[in-house]
Amino acid sequence: MVAAFYALPFYLLGLWKRVFLYVGLILQGAYIISRGLHLGRLPLVGPHDTLIFLSAAMVAFSIPFNRGTKEDPALSRGISFAAMVFTALGILWQPHNAPLPPVLKTLWFELHVVLAFFSYALFGIGAAIGVFSLRRKDVYHEALQYRAILIGYCLFSLSMILGGIWAYLAWGTYWLWTPKELWTSIVWLFYTLYLHARLMQGWSGRPLASLGILGFVVVMFTYLGVSLFMKSSHTF
Amino acid sequence: MAAKAVIRFFVSLKTSLWLLCLVTVLLLAGAFIMPGEKAFLSVHSMPLLDWMRQQPVKSTWWLWATMGLLLVLAANTLVCSIDSIVKKRKVTQWMLLISPQIVHIGFLFMLIAHLASAAGGFKTFAVAAEGTPLEMPDNSVLQIKQIAMSFDSYGYLYDWAVDVEYRDNGQVLKKDRLLPNKPVFHKGVGVYVKDLRAFPSKMVLLEVSREPGAVWALVGGIFFMTGTIALLVLKMKREETQTQP
Repeated sequence: MVAAFYALPFYLLGLWKRVFLYVGLILQGAYIISRGLHLGRLPLVGPHDTLIFLSAAMVAFSIPFNRGTKEDPALSRGISFAAMVFTALGILWQPHNAPLPPVLKTLWFELHVVLAFFSYALFGIGAAIGVFSLRRKDVYHEALQYRAILIGYCLFSLSMILGGIWAYLAWGTYWLWTPKELWTSIVWLFYTLYLHARLMQGWSGRPLASLGILGFVVVMFTYLGVSLFMKSSHTF
Repeated sequence: MAAKAVIRFFVSLKTSLWLLCLVTVLLLAGAFIMPGEKAFLSVHSMPLLDWMRQQPVKSTWWLWATMGLLLVLAANTLVCSIDSIVKKRKVTQWMLLISPQIVHIGFLFMLIAHLASAAGGFKTFAVAAEGTPLEMPDNSVLQIKQIAMSFDSYGYLYDWAVDVEYRDNGQVLKKDRLLPNKPVFHKGVGVYVKDLRAFPSKMVLLEVSREPGAVWALVGGIFFMTGTIALLVLKMKREETQTQP
């Protein structure tokens, strides 16, 4: 908990110098590993662990994207800000230390969740690049956003497929009609729309960058909103 | 003339975008309708199409509309793929041409899977104790031999196992063990443990079900991921050469 807490000021300082962002990431990574060792499982259950994991994943995945925007620190500032917000929110929640029910003790679950959060992180980076791209209006940043979203989409699809296999083995069906699954389909359709819109003339520039930003709003509602405001057997 | 207009409609990327938009909007509507409608509490109790026919349209209109639009989207996907292959068949980078079509095939398989499960699934539930015989759809008998549960010092259930035997005319056909995330299958019918109770006597809630779309969904998933990963690698390579800052 302390390491996660100490990551916060470094993310704040990351708004000024990028190197602090990476120090925050190291602290957060150490916290995630120590929690995993303590619990004897992947610490990815409940809002505390998932928010901290999301924030670390966003910073880690932003490293190669930051390299392409060295001359302008706006992207790393956006990532710093997001990491700070997610970490602060994560600290507000109590960590989930109870043992997992037997159905969650499987590699299918771990892969499903890890890939989902990796994809959320990449969609977040896509949105941050989108904000950046709205200001700069160049082809390079549009391509960078596309790359983040395409990799995110690939991981997200894989996460859904693995989740389907797990659900079939655990509950007898690869698809459950729960609000979380419905919202997950909305996210998937939305990014499918983004990827196809890029092939159309007239969508380049502002409309595509805005779609990438809006997509992350849908992702955040699917992740936090559905779990907090809607009754579903499928939560964090 | 009319045939040309229909083909133009189905071959257009604009049609795909509109359909994706409309399906997204319908699912959004459903996402807000579903949690507030009590009818959805029973959605998993029977195949989806049977369930939809029994429910009032005011609860399920968005599902009917989504299904209709997905059928149009399936036709659009198929026509676009065929058109793309026919028009670009002479390109040198055939992997770049074929990868999106593999993704599309995967998507179509997934739609077929959902349709097969919605139309031809089968599901029933039973509560059973040790020794209880249950008649299966193929007239064989599933007998619960042993229910084992392990609790930790805080009283949390951390593991369980249910031993079963399939019998036919008194003869043992097969012995198997149900574990978390490991159902048992016999002649295409799966048996799943949905819940367990330790007190006052050991009992299990079993689901006996057949999901005809599962294999289609798996095949679809494999196609989809193969195409997506191939496309990702090819696009990244191409973008790298095109968009150096």
